[in-house]
Amino acid sequence: MPGVIGAFHEMDSAYYALEELKKKRLGDLTVYTPTAHHEFDELLARPESHVRRWTLIGGAFGITFGYFIWVWITRYWPLVVGGKAIVTYVPFTIFAFEVMVLIGSLATVVGMFANSRLPRLTATVGYDPRFSGGHYGVWVETTPDKADEAMTVMRQHGAEEVRREG
Amino acid sequence: MATTAAPLPMGEPLGPNVASADVHFPAIKTYEQVDHEIINTMRPTLGWFILLALAILAMLAGAATWTYQIYEGLGAAGYQPPVMWGVYIVSFVFWVGIGHAGTLISAILYLFRAGFRTSIYRVSEAMTVFAVMTAGLFPILHLGRPWKFFYLIPYPHWRLIWPNPKSPLVWDVFAILTYLTVSATFLYVGLLPDFAIMRDREKNPIRKRLFATLSLGWRNSDREWRHFARAYLFLAAFATPLVLSVHSVVSFDFAMANMPGWHETIFPPYFVAGAIYSGLGMVFTLVIPMRKFFKLEHYITLNDLDAAAKMCLFVSMVVGLAYLTEFQMGWLAGSSFEQEYWWNRTFGQWWWAEWIILSCNCLLPMSLFSRKLRRNPGWLFALSIFINIGMWFERFTIIIPTLSHEFEPWQWGTYMPTWVDMGILLGSFGFFFMWFLLFIKQLPVMAMSEFKELIPAKMKQRAAGGGAH
Repeated sequence: MPGVIGAFHEMDSAYYALEELKKKRLGDLTVYTPTAHHEFDELLARPESHVRRWTLIGGAFGITFGYFIWVWITRYWPLVVGGKAIVTYVPFTIFAFEVMVLIGSLATVVGMFANSRLPRLTATVGYDPRFSGGHYGVWVETTPDKADEAMTVMRQHGAEEVRREG
Repeated sequence: MATTAAPLPMGEPLGPNVASADVHFPAIKTYEQVDHEIINTMRPTLGWFILLALAILAMLAGAATWTYQIYEGLGAAGYQPPVMWGVYIVSFVFWVGIGHAGTLISAILYLFRAGFRTSIYRVSEAMTVFAVMTAGLFPILHLGRPWKFFYLIPYPHWRLIWPNPKSPLVWDVFAILTYLTVSATFLYVGLLPDFAIMRDREKNPIRKRLFATLSLGWRNSDREWRHFARAYLFLAAFATPLVLSVHSVVSFDFAMANMPGWHETIFPPYFVAGAIYSGLGMVFTLVIPMRKFFKLEHYITLNDLDAAAKMCLFVSMVVGLAYLTEFQMGWLAGSSFEQEYWWNRTFGQWWWAEWIILSCNCLLPMSLFSRKLRRNPGWLFALSIFINIGMWFERFTIIIPTLSHEFEPWQWGTYMPTWVDMGILLGSFGFFFMWFLLFIKQLPVMAMSEFKELIPAKMKQRAAGGGAH
C-alpha cells in the first residue's frame, strides 16, 4: 500500500501533525517513536493490548498441564511408599506453579509477537532508521490523490522530511 | 518501559518530566547522545582483551581440573563420609543466588517503579542468565559419570528411573530450568528495541544483518510499543513470584531433610533474602568497574549507587535477622542435637567460617548507614567483594557443618576442599566472566530505548521558550 512518511525532530510537532491528519481522515496512521510514548496511543484511540489474553490462556493452560502431567505420571508408574498417597497435590503445586510461569511467559511473548506482527521480514517501506534514534515518524497509508494533502499537513507542522513511499 | 506512564497533557504548556531526567540525569540531553555513548562502549579495547583472556584461561584451568577429576574419581574432590556434598553444591547454591538480584532489579523494581533500576538492570539481567548457566554446571560436575547427566532430567523413560515428584531435587530441576528460560526470555524481549537501534546504526554488514535478524524487524511503531509494554509488564509480573519461588525451592533441598540445622521453616525466606543479597553484591562488583572504565558516571550516577546501597543495607539486615532467628530457633528448640550443632558451627569446628559470614554479611554492610560511604564507589566495590566471599561461606556453613555433625558422634567427620575443588571453583568464575565480558562488548550494557524514556522528549514549544534542548 502506498503512503506518505514524515520525519519530525520534535515530539509535539509529530503529535499535532498526527492530530490534524486524523481529523482530515487521510488514511491509516502509524507513528514511530524512539521510545514508548503512550500519548500517541491516546490520540489514535488505540484499543487495549490483547497480549493479556495470551498471558491468561497460557498461564491457565500451564497450571492445568502442570498438575495433569504429574498426576498422570504418578498414577501410571506409582512409587509406593507405605501409608502415603500416590497422588500428592501439595508438592505437585510446585510443578504446577513453575509450568504456569513458564508457559504463561512464553505465551505472553508469542502474543506480543502475534499482535505486533513480528517477526517482520522487511522494515524498508514506511520506515526510516532515524526513528530508532531521535526522530519521530508519521506514516499515512493513503491513496495518491490524498498524498499531497497529507504531505502539506506534515510540512505545516514542521516535518524535517516528507516523502512518498510504496 | 513506561507501561503505566501517564500521557503528557498536549494542550498545556510542556515542561520537563520532574520524575526523571532533568533531575536525575542532568548530563544527558538528547536521545542521540544516549545511542552514541552507549554504542561507543561496545568498542573492544586492549584491557578488555586481557580480561577476556584471563577469564578463558581460568575456565580452561577449571576444565583441565575437571578432566583430572573424571580420571581420578570424585575422591579427588575431597569427599569423604559423612560429607558427600562439598564445594560443588556450595557453589551451585551460590551461583543460583547470584542470579536472583538480576531479576529483582529488572522485574521487582520495575513493578515498584524504582527509577534507579534503569541504569543497572540490563547488566543485572545478563548477570542472572550467566550465573544460572554457571550454576547449572555444578550438578553435572558433582556426578561421578557426568556423561550420564541426562539421567537428571525428570522424564519417564525406558531405564525405569522414573522421577519422584515428592523429591525436592526434582522440584529444583523444574525451578532452575524455568528460571533460566524466563530470565533469558525477559532479557531478549527487553533487548528487541535496542537490537533495532543497533541494526539502524551498524556499519559492518555482517553485524548489521545479525542485529536485523535479532530485532525481528522491530520498527518502533506505536503498535509494537503498545504490545511490548504490556508483554514486558506481564513478564515482570511472572518473574517476580518466580524469583521468590526458585530459591525457596533450592532451600527445600535442605529443609526437607530431617537434619540438624536444615530442617527449619525459616529456610525459604532466609534463602531468598540471601540470594538477593549475594546478587546485589555481584551487581556492585560488575557495575562499578564498568561505570568507571566505560565512563558511564553520568548514567550510573551516585544517586543510583546510593539507592542500590540502601537496598543492600536493608537486605543485609534481613539476612542478619535470619541468622539471629536461626540461632535462636536452634538454641531454644529444646533439641540437644540442634544445640550441639549450633555450638559446633559458631564456636567449635566451623567457627572460622561462621565468623567470616557474620563479619562480611552483617558487620561490614553496617557501614552503609554512612551516606558518604554509600556514595563512595571504591568502598562499594570493596564491600561487594566481602559480600561475595561472605555469601559463598554462608552456603558453606549451611551445608558442611550439618553433614559433618549429624545426630550421633560416629556420624561426625570433617571436610577440607582440595585443589580440585578450588580449580573448578576458579573455572566457574572464568566461565561466568567470559560470558559477561563477551556480553558487554557485543550488546548494549544499558537499555537505550528505556533510558530515552527518562529524558524529556524534544519539544518545539519548549525549545522556543528556551528549554533544555
